[in-house]
Amino acid sequence: MAKKNISLNIWLAVLGIALLAAGGLGMKLDWFGEIRGLPGVLIGVGAGVFGANLGVILQAKTVERDPAAARRIEIEQRDERNQAINNIAKSRAFDAMVYIYAAAMLVCVLINVDVAAILILVAAYLLVHGIMLYEMVKLTREM
Amino acid sequence: MKNRLEEIRKQQGVTQEELAEALEVSRQTISSLENGRYNPSIILAFKIARYFHRSIEEIFIYEDSQNGKEEY
Repeated sequence: MAKKNISLNIWLAVLGIALLAAGGLGMKLDWFGEIRGLPGVLIGVGAGVFGANLGVILQAKTVERDPAAARRIEIEQRDERNQAINNIAKSRAFDAMVYIYAAAMLVCVLINVDVAAILILVAAYLLVHGIMLYEMVKLTREM
Repeated sequence: MKNRLEEIRKQQGVTQEELAEALEVSRQTISSLENGRYNPSIILAFKIARYFHRSIEEIFIYEDSQNGKEEY
């Protein structure tokens, strides 16, 4: 496995911690005043950025220490059966999601959730189907 | 699709690990192929045939699916 340059991931992990800290302190010290949701967003985004990049850094360190393990990881990632399993699982999850989204929209209507929230759900549902149609047209041309 | 992979591999004294390493796939993939739970891509089928110096038809036997079971 080729050695990966992780300097960007280190910087992003540090940025994640900074966002997390800013969110936590902002919430505690009421830095953001009227924008009450911002600290929560900062904590969420910070934790996500930090976690994702920490994973990349730890994997790169493992690869550096143990080339045999690195080769095993590379084979596991490129293995066609693993990729097929991944694709079938994603496809089945998508099929389930269509019904789950529809049920969620119905529940939102029944419990009188704000129209804006329902419209966001409907827009997300339609967007996902739009992406599927776009990918189908693209793949039909390519294959 | 049936195959003679296990038989041919054992005839040639090759372990699943060695075959997996040579084909750059996981050992579980070789195991699944041998058990008929997974059908290889055409590229992997060619790699297997080349590895054993055989034709694809000597290793993989196509038959119409009759039991309606989903194949991968």
